[in-house]
Amino acid sequence: MDWTPAPRRSSAMRREQNLALVGAVVSGAVIATGLLLLLVARVNPDAGARMRGAALDIVTPVWNVVRLPFDGAGRALGLAGDYLGAVNRNRQLTADLAKANANLQKAAADQLALKQLQALMKVRVPGRTPVLTTRIVAATSGSVVRTAMLAAGTRDGVGVGMPVIAANGLIGRTIETGSHASRVLLLTDPASRVPVLVQRTGQAGLVVGSNRPALELQDRVGPEVPLLAGDQLVTSGDGGVFPPGVPVGSIITGGNGTPQVRPATTPFGAGFVTIEAAWVPLPAEPAVVASETPVPVEAQRAKPAPKPVAAPRPLP
Amino acid sequence: MIDRGAPPLRLMNTRERRRYMFGYWRVAVPALSVLALLWVMTAPLLLPVPVFPQLGLLAIFIWATFQPGLMPPWLAFLLGIVADLLFAQPIGVNATLFAGTAAFVRVFEARYGHHAHGFDWGIASVVVMVTSIAGAQLMALAARPVPISPLFWQVLTSIIAYPMVVWLCAAIQRRAFGPGGPR
Repeated sequence: MDWTPAPRRSSAMRREQNLALVGAVVSGAVIATGLLLLLVARVNPDAGARMRGAALDIVTPVWNVVRLPFDGAGRALGLAGDYLGAVNRNRQLTADLAKANANLQKAAADQLALKQLQALMKVRVPGRTPVLTTRIVAATSGSVVRTAMLAAGTRDGVGVGMPVIAANGLIGRTIETGSHASRVLLLTDPASRVPVLVQRTGQAGLVVGSNRPALELQDRVGPEVPLLAGDQLVTSGDGGVFPPGVPVGSIITGGNGTPQVRPATTPFGAGFVTIEAAWVPLPAEPAVVASETPVPVEAQRAKPAPKPVAAPRPLP
Repeated sequence: MIDRGAPPLRLMNTRERRRYMFGYWRVAVPALSVLALLWVMTAPLLLPVPVFPQLGLLAIFIWATFQPGLMPPWLAFLLGIVADLLFAQPIGVNATLFAGTAAFVRVFEARYGHHAHGFDWGIASVVVMVTSIAGAQLMALAARPVPISPLFWQVLTSIIAYPMVVWLCAAIQRRAFGPGGPR
């Protein structure tokens, strides 16, 4: 029997068209899913914490190994520089030491007076508890979020919301943890807020990052008081995360407008940093205030009577 | 990429089936190269300004032109979720941007055809600029607003880095798929 073959071309064309349509629908669905995920992230910013921790655990060890030769080269260069500049540095340090000793003698008397006053006023000062010292191994250099990754995680006792401090000043606080890696939100990130005091004037304020080299001092108490270039900012201890007295930065230019702050330390080249426990950790249970108003019997039966606020536990 | 001359899977034994499946490892090459570039973007260069080029986004763009079948929008979406996890951004920012880029390249090439390197460079520059600004908007949508002006540096370095990423992807393409495209 002689019959003409089916018109393959048109069926192939139809298939192409169907595939293109399916592709377009899938693409649209995928982009819609992305936007939906963003809304989920807006409502619940902590979603996917475990996945983030796993990603940290995968990436950080690789950088920890890859950066070893670079660290070695850097250390060799540093040693050479130290050797060449040893004499100058020695002279400088001797001069500095004489000045520091004089200041220390003055400060000893102040310390004594402070201790007596604190004893008189029954002031309790929470202590700082270092968790461990580790190093910065990676960073999000290609992203709008400024974070760094540390080679220590929950296995080493690191949790979310712990201050990270370098030798010269504050680095940031931990925001994510894996089992052997964690992530620090740096001061330069736009989401970073650090409560500070201006040491010269005693004003409280917030140091806010903006993805630029300089930080901003916002919400200062008494903005009409002018700041001077070089005014030192230290953490105030408000909020309970950062311990008080850690250097944050110094004012670049005084005058009006939002004061710009030069960070006391840059994570680049900071190398080793110390993670501390949150200065005053949040209580595990929210405090319930016992009220004087009479409560109906039914409500009392429904749930156990609220415990009164516990007395603050004695601190070391 | 679909091999029409393949024997039916039911007629193969386990070993042959495994060999047949793993014979297609090349389909994973574009995605793996994007993952590698995303990892490079977490280099410990602690700069206060985002200046590191957007290698992942550029690689998505380039693979979508080189191998459209191997960089569909849904794969770009998954790679974007990995990028979000690595960069501590709200999940969905890079996923949406990467998927949008792959979809854009697909539509653009279907409508206007394939182009020379210089023209693609220009298109990639526009794409990087648009995704930077759109990324800031998406961050604001996820309640993590970021200032837009520092992104200028990243756009600049990304435009400069484009030929290098093209060179890298082309080298991978020649290695994995030969000079004449996929098989």
